[in-house]
Amino acid sequence: MTRFRWYLAQRLGAAALTLLGVSFIVFLMVRVLPGDPARVIAGVLASEEEVGRIRSQLELDRPLLVQYGIFLGRLAHGSLGVSARTSEPVVREVLGRLPKTIELALASSALATVAGIAAGVIAAAFPYSAFDYLLSLLTLSGVSMPVYWLGLVLIIVFAIDLNWLPAAGAEEAVSIVLPAPTLGAFSLALVARMTRSSVLEVLGQDYVRTARAKGLAERAVLWRHALGNALVPIITAAGLQFGTLLGGAVLTESVFGWPGLGLLLVDSIFARDYPVVQGIVLTFSSLFILTNLLVDLLYAYVDPRIHYG
Amino acid sequence: MGVTRGRHPWWRGLGAVAAGLLAGVALGPEPAGAATFRIAVGIDPDTMDPVQTTTTTVGNIVDYAVETLTAIDGSGKILPHLALRWTISADGRLYTFRLKAGVRFHDGSPFDAKAVKWNFDRLIDPAVRVPGRAAYPIEKTDVLDPLTVRVTLAHPYAPLLGALSWTTAGLLSPASAGANGNDYKNYVNIVGTGPYALTERRKGESITFAKNAAYWGPPPTYDSVVFRVVPEPTTRESLLLAGQVDLIILPPIADVPALERNPAVKVLLAPSDRTIFVAMNTRKPILSDRRVRQALNYAVDKAAIVKNVLFGAADPMDAPMASSLFGYCPTGTYPYDPARAKALLAQAGVKPGTRLPLLHPSGRYVQDREAAQAIAGYLHEVGLEAPLQTMDWPSYVATITTPVERNTTQLHFLGWAPPFLDASQQMLQFLSTYAPPAGLATSFYANPEVDRLILAAERELHPERRKTLYCEASKRVWEDAPWVFLWVQRFPIVYSARVTNVSSLPNEKFAAIYARPAR
Repeated sequence: MTRFRWYLAQRLGAAALTLLGVSFIVFLMVRVLPGDPARVIAGVLASEEEVGRIRSQLELDRPLLVQYGIFLGRLAHGSLGVSARTSEPVVREVLGRLPKTIELALASSALATVAGIAAGVIAAAFPYSAFDYLLSLLTLSGVSMPVYWLGLVLIIVFAIDLNWLPAAGAEEAVSIVLPAPTLGAFSLALVARMTRSSVLEVLGQDYVRTARAKGLAERAVLWRHALGNALVPIITAAGLQFGTLLGGAVLTESVFGWPGLGLLLVDSIFARDYPVVQGIVLTFSSLFILTNLLVDLLYAYVDPRIHYG
Repeated sequence: MGVTRGRHPWWRGLGAVAAGLLAGVALGPEPAGAATFRIAVGIDPDTMDPVQTTTTTVGNIVDYAVETLTAIDGSGKILPHLALRWTISADGRLYTFRLKAGVRFHDGSPFDAKAVKWNFDRLIDPAVRVPGRAAYPIEKTDVLDPLTVRVTLAHPYAPLLGALSWTTAGLLSPASAGANGNDYKNYVNIVGTGPYALTERRKGESITFAKNAAYWGPPPTYDSVVFRVVPEPTTRESLLLAGQVDLIILPPIADVPALERNPAVKVLLAPSDRTIFVAMNTRKPILSDRRVRQALNYAVDKAAIVKNVLFGAADPMDAPMASSLFGYCPTGTYPYDPARAKALLAQAGVKPGTRLPLLHPSGRYVQDREAAQAIAGYLHEVGLEAPLQTMDWPSYVATITTPVERNTTQLHFLGWAPPFLDASQQMLQFLSTYAPPAGLATSFYANPEVDRLILAAERELHPERRKTLYCEASKRVWEDAPWVFLWVQRFPIVYSARVTNVSSLPNEKFAAIYARPAR
């Protein structure tokens, strides 16, 4: 086994242990919440007898550790159980929604990374210029603007007033045009600020002066030498943001009626649908761990000084 | 969000550039009045299986495809539907239904007595999850001939015909039980006899129905109907204003006055059967005194809250139930009279500054949090302190349904909407045997005479005598005041002015199956 493969195996092993820990914490957390899932599912008009029957169908009348054991046993067989609310397999519920969440997170992330890096590099190239100040103002607005408000403003302008875009849903390809910037605004601002400071720092280094002294075009100095060396912290920020975007899409999904996992998670928490909440949190955790691993591997690609193993 | 707009907003130019860059193309919305009728609702159905439904909006959706033996009209009157007529035995236990001939399910199989028996057997089968089963005390169902079915009840139960109009008693094709992802215990692709057939379900996104060409009744106008799942009220409103849907329910209530002024849409504040009240824990020392409970009723200005907090979308209660229910009679009023409230509190020996915490859910009922704040303010005026406690719905239900010996609640803000329009479903709230944990009569009210009247009414088959019994019970409840009787919530429906023939049923459902483009 090469050192790199050994490193990868170690990381994946650690990820599995982390997920086991996450599963236990989530399992306990949802059960600590007050509220009886059987009553919520049965509705306020159901008789106690009916509620008891549902409780027993959901195995909620068994000891906690037994319930956890059953959960782990199912997990080992690739099953996350059955949704208490819809009586359908959790895997089917989660996989049905996951593509939409990933689609939105990827679109927002791409927008945030590309536009954020471009804006940050330009601001660093012209520090304290009008553009730099404008960018500071915009990024400050971006990190402090509530998603809910931004989403509604975009809907009012582009759906109601201009009537160009769908106000909600995910039926058409253009449906993502409003939710993506809404979700990505915070990350875009963060990446732009991070890029500006990182590139600005690198621009003061000796090798940049050398590059300029040997007559390299300013564009090459900026985009290849400076940005190339400033990328590590930017990749860290963008990578972490992708994970956050996956799990943090709840409000955006709600405002735009985007049929992703965030919305399902909220519905499931309010219905105390334990199996679905567990399934979604495990999915988000796995994706987050995977993203972190990819980011770490990407370091070695952008910075030859970094080796794994 | 306001709905009035400036003539030339500053963002038009900027918006044009930005959206052009983002979208690459400029798209117009699908025009209303096309072959598809589009409806935006706030929830994604947890189930499409009629027997498993618990919410009226889900019932409203299922009703497009699945029909029942009886139905109700806009005034709540029970009408024959898939049953042509029926007879009831003298002891009130045998119901014999004659079914409509020539009706077929969407899969082509015939609707007949065997199909009704299969559905009713499933309704009472403990292996199937049926939250509303208590409303169907069916012992057995017999097929007398292909179009006649006899239902035997475990005990006389007068509300049965109303219960049979409820989505829970919707009739599915038995032949479809093993097909298309359905199994006996859980139906996902419903196959009924309705004017529309389910064609596609996208979870969290939409439910699509296509017109049933072989429908036995008058054909609807639109070729298809799409329900879009849009949880955010403001976004639903935006979709309607942008012409991207034709009908929405439950817009942001604060926008109702502006919507009413907007000529592009029509607002229907539909009467409903949802009573909103503050339940008082009648087993607690202070609230066990009837004078205190009456004082609280006098202390709150219901009309002012309806006008200023609910923007007119409610009607103050004048009985312990909505007027749309069979068994309703106007019972009385508790006019706003803080002086009288103070006097009653003084008589009962309640000291100024007494604390009566008010528990309330948030976002469950129209303006629930805001109304609770207003109520606390009125109670403060008469010398009571009602600190507010907000909870999410599951925690809230768990708290108010704690058995009496461990129940710590004093006041809690609650709504109650009978699924079918019969006083029996409302009066459960005043039946002592329905107190938690057995049921949800969360004020723990107990009056043996009221119990007797309610139980007698449930078995009484003569409509007028039944009505009298409920009226008697209502008067006693009103006098005993286990609730602060607040209002009957209206159900806001908003639809495009380009469509017509939209109405409502008084159980929080819209009636838009026969909607058509306005001429």
